[in-house]
Amino acid sequence: MAYHQGIYLFCFLPFVVLVYALTPRKIRRAVLILAGYVFFWSFSRWLVVYLIGVTTLIYGIGCHMDHLKAEGKKKAKEQGAREPRTFIKKQYKSREKRTLIAGILLLLGILGYLKYCNFFVTNINHILEMSGRSVFLQPQTLLIPIGISFYTLEAVGYMADVYWGRIHAEKNWAKIALFLGFFPQIMEGPIGTWNETADALWECAPVRMENLAQGAIRIVWGMFKKIVVADRLYMIVQMIFEHYQNYHGVMILVGAVSYTLQLYMEFSGCMDIVIGSGNLFGVALPENFRQPFFSGNASEFWRRWHITLGAWLKAYVFYPVSVSGIVKKWNHFGREHAGKYLTKMGIFALTLFPVWLSNGLWHGAQWNYIFYGMYYFVILLAGEAVAPVREGILKKFNLNEKALYWRVPQILKTWVIIFTGEMFFRANGLRAGLHMFGSIFHGFELHRLWDGSLLRLGLSVPDLGITVVGILVVTVYDILKEREMLNWSKLQQMKVPSRWLLYYVLIFAVILFGAYGTGYQQVDLIYAGF
Amino acid sequence: MQDFRKKIVRPVVFCAILLCLLMAASAVMSALARTNTDLVQNRNKSMVELENEPADTIDVLVIGDSESYTTVSPMEIWDKEGIPSYVGGQTGQKIQESYYMLKKALKTQKPKVVAIETNMIFRSQSAVRGIKETLVQTMLYYFPVFRLHNSWKAWVTGEDKRSQTFYKGFVLRDVVEAYTGGSYMKKTAKTERMSRITRFMMDQIVSLCRKNNIQLFLYSAPSPKNYSFRKHNTMEAYARENGLKYLDLNLKIKELGINWSEDSLDKGDHLNILGAVKVSDYLGRYLKKEYHLKSRKSESTYRSWNESLIQYREAAQNAEKQAKKKVKAGS
Repeated sequence: MAYHQGIYLFCFLPFVVLVYALTPRKIRRAVLILAGYVFFWSFSRWLVVYLIGVTTLIYGIGCHMDHLKAEGKKKAKEQGAREPRTFIKKQYKSREKRTLIAGILLLLGILGYLKYCNFFVTNINHILEMSGRSVFLQPQTLLIPIGISFYTLEAVGYMADVYWGRIHAEKNWAKIALFLGFFPQIMEGPIGTWNETADALWECAPVRMENLAQGAIRIVWGMFKKIVVADRLYMIVQMIFEHYQNYHGVMILVGAVSYTLQLYMEFSGCMDIVIGSGNLFGVALPENFRQPFFSGNASEFWRRWHITLGAWLKAYVFYPVSVSGIVKKWNHFGREHAGKYLTKMGIFALTLFPVWLSNGLWHGAQWNYIFYGMYYFVILLAGEAVAPVREGILKKFNLNEKALYWRVPQILKTWVIIFTGEMFFRANGLRAGLHMFGSIFHGFELHRLWDGSLLRLGLSVPDLGITVVGILVVTVYDILKEREMLNWSKLQQMKVPSRWLLYYVLIFAVILFGAYGTGYQQVDLIYAGF
Repeated sequence: MQDFRKKIVRPVVFCAILLCLLMAASAVMSALARTNTDLVQNRNKSMVELENEPADTIDVLVIGDSESYTTVSPMEIWDKEGIPSYVGGQTGQKIQESYYMLKKALKTQKPKVVAIETNMIFRSQSAVRGIKETLVQTMLYYFPVFRLHNSWKAWVTGEDKRSQTFYKGFVLRDVVEAYTGGSYMKKTAKTERMSRITRFMMDQIVSLCRKNNIQLFLYSAPSPKNYSFRKHNTMEAYARENGLKYLDLNLKIKELGINWSEDSLDKGDHLNILGAVKVSDYLGRYLKKEYHLKSRKSESTYRSWNESLIQYREAAQNAEKQAKKKVKAGS
């Protein structure tokens, strides 16, 4: 029952909305929690117990930390002198920290075991094989609960926020259950923080016609991106990435660009369906994409692409590492011995390395994902290293950073970085990725773009035409959105005839030009696999 | 009042217009497909061409998955027995599709006999998948635009060169890949499971046939790869429970004269033209004898069938020649 399938769109979602609309507020919460568990069950059956377990765990840990906070305060108050007061506070903070670490280790330990166990087994077996041993470890058959990578991060974020005192521990188990188990978010995020979504979800606002209209059309728009564009690009991507030895030069670039576009159309399309589904219940889920292809550098790209993952890593990895002892020590040492520039670069490297290693590991247990994380680490580090040179040029020639003559080459440079990164990300292993990268520079043969080679990638002329038109439509929409000429609320303010006409055109574009039914393969959601 | 208009009237009007547009698009796409069946994907062709058959001209309708359209050649039955039949089979046809194929046929035809090839009955469906499939097929039945939406591609590019020629739902296949596995119908008292949703849909088909005074009969095509005695037992029990006739051709290999080194299309999964002719001849005789179907060869309504037969015979003879050549080359 994935978000783009008929059973979700035409049965499950309307049924939940109907039941939600017909029930009083208090029961609506139960409806949403139950719907979340039914949705989860449809993929992972009895592993729904795991989601309930995670909910109970972070509920317990949150309450325990809250209890420690209150007890610590009370005991500190009872002390008259300052010194024992500070000692007690520290003692309790340390107990809180131990509780938090235990919770995080447990959750990340389970996630790590389920996702990386076989990765380690395979690699250890490789090492054993190379060293001539005949003893091998047996890979495990593990059932992984759907969406584990997404709600584990939400759960860790909740516990850390309670620890840092950003939020109070929630005393109502059901509110946490709804926060972790809101069905539109389970499979692919967005990874919300407690402050962003919990209250809105618990509010269980009544169903409003304007929310229904906005949510429904956003879902249709997501379907357009997914089944009109992404599922067609999938055929080109499959052909090139599964038979990469047969391609070189410009055709590898076609594969890299196609995959990047497929991933964007699919993931952002799925987010449109997810956010649209949230809208139906009056919940504004956080946005995950903000016109990423208008980014001027890799750092900006990651503030526009999979925004909630970037924000999570920033809040729960980058900031804690920034204030950690090792960074402080380096800062102190660097200022005395290495100079301002090297100290800054050192801090940058120390704080970004764990962020990008986590980013790579989060995507899955493959070397090319780790490489992907490290690729962005190196690019961002290099960007920071040459920043003074760049600023010097801008200053010397009095150039305007926002002017087109500067912005366009920056955007094009970022595209090269993005396409290369995604090529490694999609490749069947790191070795295949390196092979593909190398073969770009052999026999470039630009003429393959117009000599009919593109039509031998699994798409017919009409399919290719629809794909191009679809990409253009999404591009125009993204340009209008970037220039703040269009957004979902503005669409609602259009006059009824023109708005309805737009809706009907979009609905029929999906029905008539969607890559579904006989002759097409149903393509699973890529990020659901992470 | 304005609130009422905004909250109730507008959404209702929007949905009503959408419904009308869907119906209109469905009608246009169906008409387009019927006028030029080359626009339609091969899998949906038998359904569209069935709609194109003149009303009340089909006496026997065969439905099922690929085992149906590789075993029954309506033109052979017409040639030898004069019985007008049609195969509404589809690759991997699901039981829900069979039900709606029958419903669609009943819009224009009044078949006397409906023959169901039983292989698809054993394609297991979980409750969730079954419900999902039922809903999907219901939607496709009422709004064919979802089924035929791809037709615009062939319309834009011209004729689809990969398009197969269907002879009343049958496609000629001259490939020969022998089955060498030996006897496969080993007697047992065990049965094969029929999923709950399949049984429910089969019951719907039985009741639809009863309602329309159609004699329903079940048959299993010769297929070592797909059939076993367990399946035979299940089908026999189901037929008995519902007062239906069941013909398991896997138990009549000798009578049919099937030679697995010549008549198999793909190592015992389906039959090629040589095998299909043998099964069609047998079924034609069986239908005539069991259901007292009369020959319609001399009726003027069926003039076009005799014209089609000439084309079929030429193509079939070529296919048979090719198949025999392949047998010789193989041996």
